[in-house]
Amino acid sequence: MSRRVVAHPILGDLIEEEVIEFEFEGLKLKALKSDTIASALISNGIDIFGFSESGKPKGFFCAIGKCSSCLVVVDGVPNVRACITPVRDGMRVERQKGKGKPVW
Amino acid sequence: MVKKVQALVIGAGPAGLCGSIAIAENGVEVLVVDEGLVPGGQLPKQTHKFFGHEGFFASVRGFEIGEKLYNDAVNLGVKFLMKTTVSGIYEDVIVLYDRENERIYEINADYVLIATGASERFISFKKNYLPGVYGAGAVQTLMNQYRVLPGNDFLIVGAGNIGLIVAYQLLQAGANVKAIVEASNKVGGYLVHANKVKRMGVPILLRHTIVEAIGEERVRGAVISEVDDSFNPIKGTEKELAVDTICLAVGLQPSIELAAQAGAEIKYIPELGGYVPIRDENMKTTVDNVYIAGDLASIEEASTAMIEGYIAGYNIAQKITGLDLSENISKMKKELEEFRRGPFSGKVRKGLKKFGVEFPEGGFRTEPQKDEGPAGKLRVKIECPQNIPCNPCETSCPTGAIDVGGNINGLPYVDYDKCIGCGVCVMKCPGLAIFLVQELSDYSIVGIPYEFELPEKGEKVLLLDRNGEIVGEGEIEKIVRNSKGKTHIVYLKVPKGLEDNVRHFVRHEEKEEEIVCRCEEITRSEIEKAIEEGYTDFEELRRYLRISMGPCGGRVCRLQTLSIISLKTGIPISELESGRFRPPSIPIPFKAILKGDEKDEI
Repeated sequence: MSRRVVAHPILGDLIEEEVIEFEFEGLKLKALKSDTIASALISNGIDIFGFSESGKPKGFFCAIGKCSSCLVVVDGVPNVRACITPVRDGMRVERQKGKGKPVW
Repeated sequence: MVKKVQALVIGAGPAGLCGSIAIAENGVEVLVVDEGLVPGGQLPKQTHKFFGHEGFFASVRGFEIGEKLYNDAVNLGVKFLMKTTVSGIYEDVIVLYDRENERIYEINADYVLIATGASERFISFKKNYLPGVYGAGAVQTLMNQYRVLPGNDFLIVGAGNIGLIVAYQLLQAGANVKAIVEASNKVGGYLVHANKVKRMGVPILLRHTIVEAIGEERVRGAVISEVDDSFNPIKGTEKELAVDTICLAVGLQPSIELAAQAGAEIKYIPELGGYVPIRDENMKTTVDNVYIAGDLASIEEASTAMIEGYIAGYNIAQKITGLDLSENISKMKKELEEFRRGPFSGKVRKGLKKFGVEFPEGGFRTEPQKDEGPAGKLRVKIECPQNIPCNPCETSCPTGAIDVGGNINGLPYVDYDKCIGCGVCVMKCPGLAIFLVQELSDYSIVGIPYEFELPEKGEKVLLLDRNGEIVGEGEIEKIVRNSKGKTHIVYLKVPKGLEDNVRHFVRHEEKEEEIVCRCEEITRSEIEKAIEEGYTDFEELRRYLRISMGPCGGRVCRLQTLSIISLKTGIPISELESGRFRPPSIPIPFKAILKGDEKDEI
């Protein structure tokens, strides 16, 4: 359902680049090195980035770091904006529930 | 330690970049801070060509403009801090948060240019929180910058320029756009943008809105309905659309937070996009050393954002250096004046008047050209009915055949004695609104601007009119590739009389994915092609295509295949050979056959 735009009439073919591996909710997923966490999740068909305090599913909304709708937990740290955070090799991403547990 | 800079620019979009260039050109040190991953603001996701004139990159695509402005700024010595958010503007210090290195910087600046742009508006409807409801600009970022599509079937809410442009770019990325709904009774964006998607068959439903997103965990559909004069949904007019993504293109709101923190007085001016900082004609806010530019100042286009950036930048440079830059400033003000003369700037003019900043209106040609040119000659047809500040047709024409009447907002006229039908303007026009036509004795030629995967010369295609309706069959006569600009020209051979209707085409294979044989996945077009090659008998087709040789033994496809043969050959099914019915009628495992052999009993 969700997919990569490989060929494009204006932007040309997707340039081959390094593929990295990250973890999402325990699943090993692949991403391109230039991906943000958001684009990596979308390319893997994952739309639910977390849940609101009352349990409603949440996805991204603005994709440019303004709306804070896409907050995820990265390597145990909550409130990371998936849309403007580059994905890294070995990164551990989890869905955030509500406001996220603080890490002190 | 508090670092000191002469000029701080917040935001590396078109306004901030041009502002930083204007300041740095005059030898002033500039620091640009932006929270994005790459500079350019929203330019990197803009794959469309800009309107305007050459001086402000008309006919150049947004992402290329972003790269150029960034390089210009870097070459002038402008310093950039990306992935860094201005977290607060305090009385004594400005605090930056570098999220990559997880550290804070404290700086002081003599002058600040705030160009923080805007954010997408959100609207309320049932289940609007579901993943799959996204900002249209957000989808544009993902598909054009990160090359991922968050769905296959899209509904666009809002027919302003962003909604229309994103719809078109979704089609370019290979997605389907089921509809664009617009609550008002007219398209808000440029008609040339609307026409691009209409001729590809995307319906624009006026006086319609979204009332509900369908789905539990993510969007599986949308309910739209008609609205009354007060934009309230009319009960009983609801319709369900099978979409997996809903793009909200319902406007932008200025990102005023930092300007407000800097002490700039804020006012609610709906015509400018909501709350905006009060500013004068030099882009100075109510705080002496704080300037603004771009969407933060008023929701408009990137071209005007660039000009405002220059105006603010030159003013700041003038204050810091003491140089007289009044010539640069007044030149840019003249530009802005020209860009804002047209009907699409009516709201901005009205809004700015509330600050006492006046912009003149009109002074351009509004009467469309009546002369259609001499039939039989290969010539251009310009379908540009609105007064948009744009003139690449005029400036690109090698024979000087097109003019917009002396003012950039004027409607273009063609001098058909001079037009040689070369097509340069067709490739340049940012609105893809120029076509080529020629009436010949047996057929006509229509040349269309085309920004999709190219067809083959000689290919038979279905011809579409301005509303995307199929009006006949044609053939690709010629393709002129434009490898640099990417707007190619596809020349179509169309039946005589259709040259005024045909404005797009659809390739046959895109339309035909009708499976006849489910077991062997054989399509209707494959069967039709085989029949055209001479395989007109069921048994021949069976051997040639493997149709009805799968596990169902032809239960699904036999009659369909026969009816296709009948349609193509004109022979009634009753007179056709039905083909043999061979055992086994269902697949049976060898194990069963062997077992049956061992014990000779029933």
